[in-house]
Amino acid sequence: MAAAATRRRRFVIRYGSGREIFAGYALIAIPLILFLVLNIGSILFALVISVFEWRFRGGAGEFVGPGNYERLLADRTFHKAIYNVVTYALWVVPLQMALGLLLAVIVNAKIRGQTFFRAAFYFPAIASSAAITVLFIFIMQPEGLFNGLRAALGLNPIFEALGFGPRHNWLGSASTALGSIMALNIWTTSGTMMLFYLASLQSISREVYEAARIDGANAWHTFWRITFPLLKPAHFFVATVSVIGALQLFDQAYIGGGSTGDPNFSLMSIVLYLYNAAFKQVNLDYAAAVGIVLFVIIFGATLVQRQLFGRTPAWQ
Amino acid sequence: MTRTQAAPLRPDSSVEVAPVGDRGRRFRRALGYGFLTAYALLMFVPFAWTVITSFKTQPDSVRMTFIPDPITLEGWQRAFNELNPPVMQLFLNSAIIAGTVTITNVVLGSMAGYAFARLRFPGREFLFLLVLGTLMIPDQLRMVPVYQIMQTLGLSRGDLQYAGVILILAVSATSVFLLRQYFLTIPRDLEEAAKIDGAGFFTTFWRVMLPLASPALAAVAILSFQGAWNGFFWPLIIMSERDNWTLPLGLTQFRFEFFTQWPPLMAVVALATLPILVLYLFFQRYFVEGIAASGVKG
Repeated sequence: MAAAATRRRRFVIRYGSGREIFAGYALIAIPLILFLVLNIGSILFALVISVFEWRFRGGAGEFVGPGNYERLLADRTFHKAIYNVVTYALWVVPLQMALGLLLAVIVNAKIRGQTFFRAAFYFPAIASSAAITVLFIFIMQPEGLFNGLRAALGLNPIFEALGFGPRHNWLGSASTALGSIMALNIWTTSGTMMLFYLASLQSISREVYEAARIDGANAWHTFWRITFPLLKPAHFFVATVSVIGALQLFDQAYIGGGSTGDPNFSLMSIVLYLYNAAFKQVNLDYAAAVGIVLFVIIFGATLVQRQLFGRTPAWQ
Repeated sequence: MTRTQAAPLRPDSSVEVAPVGDRGRRFRRALGYGFLTAYALLMFVPFAWTVITSFKTQPDSVRMTFIPDPITLEGWQRAFNELNPPVMQLFLNSAIIAGTVTITNVVLGSMAGYAFARLRFPGREFLFLLVLGTLMIPDQLRMVPVYQIMQTLGLSRGDLQYAGVILILAVSATSVFLLRQYFLTIPRDLEEAAKIDGAGFFTTFWRVMLPLASPALAAVAILSFQGAWNGFFWPLIIMSERDNWTLPLGLTQFRFEFFTQWPPLMAVVALATLPILVLYLFFQRYFVEGIAASGVKG
């Protein structure tokens, strides 16, 4: 009896009274149910759907096992989608990180109008992907602002040398459509990356810099030898967010090139492929398999990055 | 706060001060500000161009002039009159969804955030990790199963499509996380005092903790509103009824309807961006701090 009483007392000390426990569960109940059904549960559900013949209404039909995955991995259009998305990530992620870091360092320095510049650099991130993509289409069309500005600035010889005429249709040609969407997303999200870096920059203690200054380090050395390595956790976080965002490319590709990623599949992305499978071909089981493969790719990419950047160091 | 750090723009002041170096520094400084201002302009120009174009005539819209000639409201009139469903209906739909989602995120997020930060109950750490883990799950993986769940619940047809989208966006892990982190920073003394006065957990939460967390509540409200107002993916999946469309969905369609008729199209773009722009002008701090805080690990 005494042992049971002790155990109960220990339980109360660790978890609080029955009332506290009840309050805790009551307060998290609704979010938890939503997360369990619509997030955790939906992964399992997607797995189930992907191995059955799944009808739009009526649900599970015949068991097909890995059939969808085999078909998917052999499909040329899916290969194209993966190729596009990987190309996109290889360009966008490093540029986004570099630009985000540069802007963060600038905004973090003692400059006049700090708040203004910070607000300005983040500005393109506030608009919706739909609005910004339509606006971008307008700017990049043959008679658009971009072609007009480069003519006015006298840059056309350079573009000519690169093989682009004065009325080049940036989103309309298969060779430049993806590159244009890259530019769009680097422009709109570098401000967000700046804010992530800024939060980390501000947490670096000033003493470190004082010490460097006393040792006679100049700004360039201080940045590369102190700031950059100290930002390692931020690099990991920004890289992860950026890679995940790149792999999930959809809105801009869909609005820019329609559901087939025109022209000539140049904007076909994994998610666009998934959307087509589910809602154009109404092939839900196949689409679920695409979703699972995408998840595996994203998860794998995150693990690789964790290896690359190492674990969070002790001093953070 | 922060003093001069490793900024390339502002060289270390301990470098010897010679008249020549001084002039060089001033020059570099001017160059730095010039670059910054040019880059800041690059951020604004496309939006300014949108607004300018919306007041132009069709032939004028492809001319590289910054002042419409003549200035006309034709684009705006066409945007308001020619579209089906009417733009104002889309605006209202977006407002209903974004407004509701903002409220649910603040309410549910603060409740769960408080519980995870302060109340002791078995399984707390595990459940919190579970919530955070949902950030790893891409929306697209959830597309088919969530659509099927909504269909089963009857939320994929008619006006119930609103309920479907709202349910999906009702509370995000980011909202719970941000509020939990904020509650953790509030000193415990105040709660202790409330407890001594005989307040229960719910009273303490409502009367003591919530008012103290108002900056975090504001950040969560802003981020949720922005996310829902701008959201494209879930409305696209769920909102098959044209009358239920949100502005981003309508915009995608109008792009094909107006094709190259830029002034009305740019009027819709401007209208879709306006509410967020106004919020940003007034509450810039919460945007910036909310984003930054969601990126800092707990």
